[in-house]
Amino acid sequence: MKLAGLKSIENAHDESVWAVTWVPATDARPALLLTGSLDETVKLWRPDELVLEGTNTGHCLGVVSVAAHPSGVIAASASLDSFVRVFDVDTNATIATLEAPPSEVWQMRFDPKGTILAVAGGGSASVKLWDTATWQLLATLAVPRPEGSRPSDRSGSGKFVLSVAWSPDGRRLACGSMDGTISIFDVARAKFLHHLEGHFMPVRSLVYSPIDERVLFSASDDAHVHMYDAEGKTLVGAMSGHASWVLSLDVSPDGAALATGSSDRTVRLWDLNMRAAVQTMSNHTDQVWGVAFRPPGGTGVRAGRLVSVSDDKSISLYDYSGR
Amino acid sequence: MACVYIPVQNSEEEVRVALDQLPRDASDILDILKAEQAPLDLWLIIAREYFKQGKIDQFRQILEEGSSPEIDDYYADVRYERIAILNALGAYYSYLGKIETKQREKEEHFILATQYYNKASRIDMHEPSTWVGKGQLLLAKGEVEQASAAFKIVLEENSDNVPALLGQACVQFSRGRFSDSLELYKRALQVYPNCPGAVRLGLGLCRYKLGQFEKARQAFQRVLQLDPENVEALVALGIMDLHTNEADGIRKGMEKMQQAFEIYPYCAMSLNYLANHFFFTGQHFLVEQLTETALAVTNHGPMKSHSYYNLARSYHSKGDYEKAGMYYMASVKEINKPHEFVLPFYGLGQVQLKLGDFRSSLSNFEKVLEVYPENCETLKAVGHIYVQLGQTDKALEILRKATRIDPRDAQAFLELGELLISSDAGAALEAFRTARTLLKKGGEEVPIELLNNIGVLHFERGEFELAEQAFKDALGDGIWLSFMDGKIFSSTMDSDVSTRQYKDMQLFQRLEVDGVSVELPWDKVTTVFNLARLLEQLHDTEKASILYRLILFKYPDYLDAYMRLAAITKARNNIQLSIELITDALKINDKCSNALSMLGNLELKGDDWVKAKDTFRAAREATDGKDSYATLSLGNWNYFAAVRSEKRGPKLEATHLEKAKELYTKVLVQRPANLYAANGAAVVLAEKGHFDVAKDIFTQVQEAASGSIFVQMPDVWINLAHVYFAQGHFALAVKMYQNCLRKFYYNTDTQVLLYLARTHYEAEQWQDCKKTLLRAIHLAPSNYTLRFDAGVAMQKFSASTLQKTKRTADEVRSTVAELKNAVCVFSQLSAASSLHFHGFDERKIETHVGYCKHLLDAAKVHCEAAEREEQQNRQRLEVARQVTLAEEARRKAEEQRKFQLEKRKQEDELKKVMQQEQHFERIKEQWKSSTPASKRKDRSLAEDEEGGYSEKRRKGGKRRKKDKSSKAHYEMEEAEAEMMDDQEEMEDEDARMMNNQEDVNEMNDLEDGGADNAQDLLVAAGLEDSDAEDEAAPSSTIHRRRQAWSESDDDEPTQRQIESSPNRENSVELPESDREIREENDKTNKDAADDDEED
Repeated sequence: MKLAGLKSIENAHDESVWAVTWVPATDARPALLLTGSLDETVKLWRPDELVLEGTNTGHCLGVVSVAAHPSGVIAASASLDSFVRVFDVDTNATIATLEAPPSEVWQMRFDPKGTILAVAGGGSASVKLWDTATWQLLATLAVPRPEGSRPSDRSGSGKFVLSVAWSPDGRRLACGSMDGTISIFDVARAKFLHHLEGHFMPVRSLVYSPIDERVLFSASDDAHVHMYDAEGKTLVGAMSGHASWVLSLDVSPDGAALATGSSDRTVRLWDLNMRAAVQTMSNHTDQVWGVAFRPPGGTGVRAGRLVSVSDDKSISLYDYSGR
Repeated sequence: MACVYIPVQNSEEEVRVALDQLPRDASDILDILKAEQAPLDLWLIIAREYFKQGKIDQFRQILEEGSSPEIDDYYADVRYERIAILNALGAYYSYLGKIETKQREKEEHFILATQYYNKASRIDMHEPSTWVGKGQLLLAKGEVEQASAAFKIVLEENSDNVPALLGQACVQFSRGRFSDSLELYKRALQVYPNCPGAVRLGLGLCRYKLGQFEKARQAFQRVLQLDPENVEALVALGIMDLHTNEADGIRKGMEKMQQAFEIYPYCAMSLNYLANHFFFTGQHFLVEQLTETALAVTNHGPMKSHSYYNLARSYHSKGDYEKAGMYYMASVKEINKPHEFVLPFYGLGQVQLKLGDFRSSLSNFEKVLEVYPENCETLKAVGHIYVQLGQTDKALEILRKATRIDPRDAQAFLELGELLISSDAGAALEAFRTARTLLKKGGEEVPIELLNNIGVLHFERGEFELAEQAFKDALGDGIWLSFMDGKIFSSTMDSDVSTRQYKDMQLFQRLEVDGVSVELPWDKVTTVFNLARLLEQLHDTEKASILYRLILFKYPDYLDAYMRLAAITKARNNIQLSIELITDALKINDKCSNALSMLGNLELKGDDWVKAKDTFRAAREATDGKDSYATLSLGNWNYFAAVRSEKRGPKLEATHLEKAKELYTKVLVQRPANLYAANGAAVVLAEKGHFDVAKDIFTQVQEAASGSIFVQMPDVWINLAHVYFAQGHFALAVKMYQNCLRKFYYNTDTQVLLYLARTHYEAEQWQDCKKTLLRAIHLAPSNYTLRFDAGVAMQKFSASTLQKTKRTADEVRSTVAELKNAVCVFSQLSAASSLHFHGFDERKIETHVGYCKHLLDAAKVHCEAAEREEQQNRQRLEVARQVTLAEEARRKAEEQRKFQLEKRKQEDELKKVMQQEQHFERIKEQWKSSTPASKRKDRSLAEDEEGGYSEKRRKGGKRRKKDKSSKAHYEMEEAEAEMMDDQEEMEDEDARMMNNQEDVNEMNDLEDGGADNAQDLLVAAGLEDSDAEDEAAPSSTIHRRRQAWSESDDDEPTQRQIESSPNRENSVELPESDREIREENDKTNKDAADDDEED
């Protein structure tokens, strides 16, 4: 497996780029890239040349998260002011503005079927589920405090929820917290199942394997990537190699490779069979906040694509080839 | 049988005396001799016969009788015989003197001998035999020159006098003039071809000394032909055989030695050689016996020296260094100059080195070097001693010389490398690599320690790949390769126990169950450890942890592995497990200062201040205060204690600061190059306001810290930035903070970002401040303090924009947007506070919300005002444009007029004037109609302003005061906000107390605020001086406010230092790892030292 740089856009935004996602292809157009930045804008790019398709404004404070509906028609962006803006990708028409104070908004993900938008609720220690048809709040999945924790804990970082991930079948939802614990929920029953332990620093990104719905990967500030059997509640393996926080991760559509972006300014490609880093890309000059593999689908698009965004204001696109 | 006949006096008869039947009692014979007045030569013959038979007493009795005064009287005319008797006695005493070992008796004998010879000389001055005797005596006494003179006298008379020739030959031999000696021996032989074999011995010795070994051998063999039992010749031949250095020759030589020993068991030379032989065959008992005999029979210095040397060597090889040293010493004492016999000096040096007496050892080795200045072994030994004595420069010089003399001596390069490790890692590495190449070339196995050291040096130079290769070479094949290649990785474990992954040993147990042998030879442990350290450095923490665990699985007492695992878990924030690992380490050695220091750090991280202090104290006591790390930690502790609370007791603070300073200074006294102590001392100085000195120190520390990959001192950058900040060099401070963030933290440290934001804030770069804070929030989402700060920054930005004398409507609009953001941020905080996410007081936030909303309202007014002003400006521009147009028109008219004037020159002048006036009137009227209108507008605006203004003025005095306090209030709140982080570190009681304090302040403020809240807010917003037209009164307000500002500014710097504290913790970890590697080096050094003993 191998990554090869295709195209980089310097100063893609005026400020740090903090979020990236692929908007799946529709009948009318191929898959697009959606990026969010500290400069309060959300931009839409057309690969492989990374042509700027549009710039959405309207957010205050930095844009921390973007998510795209599996249909590729709508997308959501959220900023530090804790508002979620849902909009039509092609027209940029606002569809809904979501807010659930006092809950903030961190990572957001649409479920695989596209009926629910899960939003990591930060200090509210919960994940908010929004119905994508009515844009009403469906449920609040609260992370229980583990036994033995001090109720007097003022720091507030106890179960601060940062990241969310859907299992490929949409039955399970995982969320990661500031204190390093990962919580698994049964979505249908809106029920907390169990914690996964092993990290003791913030878990900023989570992703399920597309080929094995039990396998969950987590990226943490402790510079490690953990591989869990989320159902069996076991730590399958730990991968180290980054020199600093692991900020984001994504599994390739073939399930064989993992890409991670880190504060150490690198993007790493991991071979999941060997559980070892096989390639390190050092083209960014600052923290890499987002990595994302292009989802399969679209007409005539076979080639694998990986994108990374960074504090250095740039976007980089790579060709990914499996074995 | 030979007989002598004593003639009977006055008769022809003779008494026949059979020489082999001489009576036991010499008196019988003497009686006869005296009675018969026998000729003196008979006396002599009989005496000589007694001597030959070994009856020395009888011999002496006869001769003494024969030289008595009566005889002199009686035989007065028989001169020659009398002289012969005297000379015989002289020779006898010379011999006695020569063989006597006791000095006093020796001299007595020589005195007697001298007396006899003198007596003989008195009888006849010119008797050659007397001179020869005297010469022999003088030779025996060692007075070579006088002996030579005596022999010369004889030889001048008769150049063929054989005894004199032999005597002179002997003289020349001892003078070292071997060819002259040889000539003399040759002449003696020519004169007297049948001389005894001993003469040829002299010949042989001369030849030997002249290097004519073949001829020497012939001479010795001839001696043996003549006298098969001549021990000297046998020994001489034996030595020559031995020196051939061939097995055959050595065997022959030893046979001859043995023969000599059998003939005469008291020849020291042969005894020594035999002892030497048995030393090499390892029969130490024989060595001792032989050398003891040799010592008993000889008095000859060099010979004894050899014997002692043999003994010493025997004990040395048996490991009895005390005795060996004693005998070497004895051997050395027998030697006048090291040039005679240098080996015992070397042996003594070795023994003394072994016994730790470096200085004596050194002097002995130096004596060896006097003789053999280029002896590599000795140079290495001397170098080693200089190392032990701490004279590194000399040691270096010596070892460099050794490597220069023999560039193929791997051992010398090894030692040189070890020596250079501390001073010049690059050169050390070079030396080690040479040693490795030499060993490889020589087909020898390269020692693990050497490869390990090469690896460590590469590691320290940051050449990680080379280091890894060296470690792998050192380790060779083993289970570790499977871990390294990722063929075996840590086992799947249940999530509940996964928090304890770094204590897991099941991995190895399972491997053993599966039949894989998990082996780790003891000599590879160190290298495995170093390899693990390297992997850690390369961020391959998982593999490193497996290797550490492997070490612990096999060697559960390997404390350093626990330490590193604890460090890894600490870095991953698993404090619980880290403490467990340290506790394990302390079970092995509860006095391990490193482990205690680490524990102290962990306790600090867990907010257990009191415990941490005790632990640091224990760490310091465990090393008698020699461990600078523990002392430093205590210093830091005191520093934190001094500055942790913003409501400081000045007394307590001073005590803590003083204590911290004392501790830092203590470390600096012990280790003047300790960067951390210097940094700490400078922090205390800065705390006390000595910024310039502090800056100097920080700068130096920063320079020094940029040398090694193991020294990571972000705090010194931060501290330097703090100092710049405190001195108002904001741009420099910003640069410094940014560099620090990038260089050490991969831009992830929110605390430093906060400092950066604060600097932007002070520099009134509001947007930068806000952006920095937003980044910080993004990095630390759960830190609500940052949100609060961001809100304050936006609020401040708005307020300051509104305060500006000139501003555009755009600016005001962005201010409004920013205010909305601030309101949003504060409202969210307010909402969140009900859920107790953070420690803010809801009311405080509400105050901010209220203030911002008021600002917003005010801003709307301002916005309108600004828009109005803009419109005015536009109007003014319009007027100006009209004026210009009018002017233009007028000018054009005039031109036209001139044109007309020209055209209608002939027209009536009066009419022209009339026309002109009319035209002017019109223009004037135009002027009047436009200006008064605009003037009126202006005035009304001014009146409006004045109205509001005068109202304000009434309350002015009070308001200004209020203004000041509210400013201070905001300042304080910000400080509090930033303090929140620090607060976390405090004990709960303190925190609670401080919160109460806060609340009280708050209440007061609120009460005051309640009275004229709105007014207050307006004032705070700076509305009264917002208009450009106001100049007189407001300017003074501004001025005052500035003063208020600068007052609070003065307070700032001291507070600021607080924030430097938490960072220091990070930095202190690194020296540990460094130290561990150094220890490894030490270990190998020890190994090398052990190698030195043999030879």
